[in-house]
Amino acid sequence: MGCIKQIITSLTIGLLSISMFTACTSDKKKFENSISIAYGSDVKALDPVFAEDYYASQVSSQIFETLYEYHYLKRPLVVQPLLAESMPKISEDGLTYTIKLKKGIFFQDNEAFKEGKGRELTAEDFIYSWKRLLDPANKSQGTWVFDGKVKGVSDWREKMRKGLADYDTPIEGLQATDKNTIQIKLEKPYHQLIYVLAMTYTAPTAKEVVDKYGEEIINHPVGTGPFILKDWIKSNKIVLVKNPNFRDMTYPTEKDEEDPESMLKDAGKKIPFVDKLVFNIITEDQTRWLNFMKGNLDILSIPKDNFDSSIANDQIVTDLADKGLELHVNTEPDLTYIAMNMKDPILGKNKKLRQAITLAYNTDAALKKFYNDRGIVAQSIIPPTIDGYDPSFKNPYKDFDVEKAKKLMVEAGYPNGKGLPEFEFATTSSSTAVQMAEFFKDQMSQIGINIKIVPNSWPQFTQKIHDAKAQIWGIAWVSDYPDAENFLQLLYGENVSPGPNGSNFVNAEYDKLYKQALLLPSGEKRTKLYHKMRDIASEELPMIPMIHRQGYYLTHGWIENFKRHITISDNFKYIRVNMDKKKKLKPEL
Amino acid sequence: MLKYAIRRILYMFPILLGITLVTFLLFNVAGGDPAVQMAGKYATEAEIEAIRKDLGTSGPLYVQFGNYIKQIVTFDFGRSWATKQEVTRMIFGEEFRTSPMLVSVSLTFPAFFITLVLAISIGLLLTFYRGGVLDKSIMVVCLGAISISSLVYILFLQYYLGYKLGLFPISGISYDWVDKWNYLALPIIIFVALSLGSNVLFFRTIFLDEVFQDYVRTARAKGLSNKVVMFRHVLRNALIPIITLVVIQIPFLITGTLLIESFFSLPGLGGLIYNAINNADFPVIKAMTFISAVLYMFFQLLSDILYAVVDPKVQLK
Amino acid sequence: MIRKSQNSLWNDAFQRLKKNKLSMVCLFIIIAYIILALGCKLGLFFPSFNETNNAISYQAPSAEHWFGTDFMGRDVMARAAHGTLTSLTVGLWGTGLAVIIGTLLGSLAGYFGKLVDEGIVWLYTTIDTIPYILLVSAFSLVLGPSLYTLCIAIGLTTWVGLCRVVRAEFIKHREKEYVQAASSIGASHARRIFTHILPNVFHIVLIQFSLGFVSTIKSEVILSFLGLGVEPGTPSWGVMINNAKQELARGVWWGLASATLLMFVLVLAFNLFNDALRDALDPKLKNKS
Repeated sequence: MGCIKQIITSLTIGLLSISMFTACTSDKKKFENSISIAYGSDVKALDPVFAEDYYASQVSSQIFETLYEYHYLKRPLVVQPLLAESMPKISEDGLTYTIKLKKGIFFQDNEAFKEGKGRELTAEDFIYSWKRLLDPANKSQGTWVFDGKVKGVSDWREKMRKGLADYDTPIEGLQATDKNTIQIKLEKPYHQLIYVLAMTYTAPTAKEVVDKYGEEIINHPVGTGPFILKDWIKSNKIVLVKNPNFRDMTYPTEKDEEDPESMLKDAGKKIPFVDKLVFNIITEDQTRWLNFMKGNLDILSIPKDNFDSSIANDQIVTDLADKGLELHVNTEPDLTYIAMNMKDPILGKNKKLRQAITLAYNTDAALKKFYNDRGIVAQSIIPPTIDGYDPSFKNPYKDFDVEKAKKLMVEAGYPNGKGLPEFEFATTSSSTAVQMAEFFKDQMSQIGINIKIVPNSWPQFTQKIHDAKAQIWGIAWVSDYPDAENFLQLLYGENVSPGPNGSNFVNAEYDKLYKQALLLPSGEKRTKLYHKMRDIASEELPMIPMIHRQGYYLTHGWIENFKRHITISDNFKYIRVNMDKKKKLKPEL
Repeated sequence: MLKYAIRRILYMFPILLGITLVTFLLFNVAGGDPAVQMAGKYATEAEIEAIRKDLGTSGPLYVQFGNYIKQIVTFDFGRSWATKQEVTRMIFGEEFRTSPMLVSVSLTFPAFFITLVLAISIGLLLTFYRGGVLDKSIMVVCLGAISISSLVYILFLQYYLGYKLGLFPISGISYDWVDKWNYLALPIIIFVALSLGSNVLFFRTIFLDEVFQDYVRTARAKGLSNKVVMFRHVLRNALIPIITLVVIQIPFLITGTLLIESFFSLPGLGGLIYNAINNADFPVIKAMTFISAVLYMFFQLLSDILYAVVDPKVQLK
Repeated sequence: MIRKSQNSLWNDAFQRLKKNKLSMVCLFIIIAYIILALGCKLGLFFPSFNETNNAISYQAPSAEHWFGTDFMGRDVMARAAHGTLTSLTVGLWGTGLAVIIGTLLGSLAGYFGKLVDEGIVWLYTTIDTIPYILLVSAFSLVLGPSLYTLCIAIGLTTWVGLCRVVRAEFIKHREKEYVQAASSIGASHARRIFTHILPNVFHIVLIQFSLGFVSTIKSEVILSFLGLGVEPGTPSWGVMINNAKQELARGVWWGLASATLLMFVLVLAFNLFNDALRDALDPKLKNKS
């Protein structure tokens, strides 16, 4: 039987030697001036019109640029011109914005253009791109940025739906007055306009490119930005390379007080610094973590289960620090919450019951269990780092107090849960989501409330909320722009299902305040209104504010100039790879 | 023979109809309304209805079913609801080199081949020494190996061979024809480890079946040595079940392995199915169900015909 | 006369099984698991499996908790023991349903032939052609994940193999003398199917049931990975093993270890027992080894 043994050994050796051999050949490629990161799920369309989820928006914003962006280092966020020459000129009534474009900005080279050379960007490109965004046929999720706010938009969309208009039909509020000037006319003051002009949704695309690729435009992004799409293998990776024709743009010369001096080491130098960006799709936490530890990934948001082995007392553990790893912690405008459906005949009608539920939930324990304490217990709907957040605010019902909760249950008419039906807690079916649901169930059992956990696929989950059929569920909101309005609208009466107000909370006083606040620019007066709304929400509790999650990122020693904010997505152009360090540190891993 | 083949091919049509009916009923009735998800957070009911119309999911069920049949006949499954990409391209890839089907096949074909060679060799060995200590202990090892969840194999082998010992890359794929095997080696080893046990047991049973046939006794009685009997007679006669097994397995090999692909970030068809289930991505599920069903039928037919060719005892009805 | 030969088959099989010491050990283990599951069901063993204590989540094995605690501070040993109940329930009902459907359809198809046969063959070919995972996930999407959904989904999708075997046996048997004799004395179809032919193919059903049982227990793990497993909160080996892909990163191995160990022993015992059972019952292989 020697022959069988031989087969087995030769096969094993064969596999190993193939692996060794190829490992040697790939060695040479190891030290590239590139940044590699991982995403947990597939990236969808690369088109500003479809920049609806975080991943698509982040990759797109390396290729496309917007009129405005946020300063890379300053906190709180500061808006600054990107494609615009300067901040917009706003008419006295606050209804007309005039924006001048920077000159000499060119699209990236593409066959769609004459002789394959990117042509100069004009104001018309913006108008065209915004019409694409608003075109009902494109089914973009970003139409809200202009719809109902800019003059003539709703009208144009209605006509487009009926086939009575086309792209040549002008929209009154969105016009190019000359080659370099855009004029936006509003129906009523819209102070968030400047922020949406920094969102990827509003980035310009050239008409020639759209015409050439048709529906396939989602795979052929051509923008004005610092990186070009080189290779995109679905469900595997997206490779971007430096745009050789990128205009002279430089690293910021000012920093935030809290930043170390080294953040300005590259001040005034031409960006981008790296040749290549690689976005890998890696779904499993273990796979992502091991790849990072081997240096195959440069930047990683720490998976919750790897936290204990990497961080101690908010410091990186020594054996990782010895490998050159660095920890970056930042507070983000983020809110996880447990929503309750106000349309439910029992939950919706009984404030005391909702207060009792809130009191019986131990958020501190949840923070520890599910987020390793990397977050802040949310006292209200308004998260930190944005206008309207008040760190001294305490929500009386957010103190974990089972006795008080039991008393409230008696007052609500359900002593120890008697008379209450079983409530359904809707969740997605991921392990962590289900564990969180189990924790909620456990907490509620303290005051005699019975919970049935119902796991769903993601589309089923969103549909339940959309149809107002869910009873209680956990969900999160990450800010689109640094204004508390973005969170307060989650409870605005006109946004009820199928809108973002999944709690279906309708409160006349709240809605009145919301409408008033919309008309105001940022400032003390508006903040006061925000606080009043926050107080109503904190008393009525259509949702339990849970946790403001914090970002915990690890970078390898060779990554420089790294700073993160969840709202800033075009950050890769500022990051530098220190090649000497990479050559020294990476082989050690 | 030809008549038989034609009859079998004609028989595929009612089966196809059945598949279409079952998948349609299951996924159009279940799985949530994709229009809602696509419309986004600020959508109005009118916008959602417009999207439904666009997707062909509005209107009575028989109209929707008609749309479905049309898609199958034209082999155009539309665009994915989750990724907006063309479904046919998601399955077959932009080009051959990066096709998900090729990724799955590059993993499963060599792995299955290695498994076969090993399993047949070990199976023969066990039959040779049947009833002895070696036979019994290897059988227990095989049974033990298949009693452990596949997830456990993946988690541990990836951690130890990939990370701790650094023998293989942790995950990913290269599209270079040589470098590719570097990435696939560990997934292949895991695949073999996962399937070896049951295959050894399978072949052992088959060989034992043959050993007690009359012709083997005759051969032995004629004084042929055990070795000659094993290789010349038993192995040759066991070819039929082996071929059947191989051919029947092919469609499953093509559609990939869900767990391994997921943990090794391999962009193959297994991962595609996994994502499609998670997102209730009806166009992709539809297409995958349809394609795997056709593959399955085709190879089933092929195996039946091969069987008939190899074994003249089988009568074709 | 026929009865007698049947009895001797079963008797003979039992004698053979009894002689095989290993298989008796396995049978003993399986019975022990059944007792464990029943004890859990009746609240005799580990009644505190759902007791949570947030202060001791993810505690390593200790004198108090031999296999440590899980994220809710529940005793892992108690959870794993109750997982036995879940597994055996899914195995019993899921496979049981499959056996009932498969045997019934298989006997009808094999016995009546013609149109009935065509129809049933069409049905099972269709079901068999659709990938198992897609079919099960579709059922779960329709019915919502729960223990019963899991049983129904497994039952409705795994009957095909058995149906095929039973059909083939029935085709073989329906022309045999004893069936012809029964029909000549005016036995009804139902009588011929259930009292005459079925007992003669029952050993095949038993073997298939036993095999299906094992694969059902194993597929619960994969379905948990896909989020199609039992209701959250129900102790299950699948959920415990699946959670390990995250827990291992924080050094929590006891959940995985206890679930894997319990499952390993049961499945191994079942596999070994099946092997012996098949040898004992399948006359074709009777004379080997």
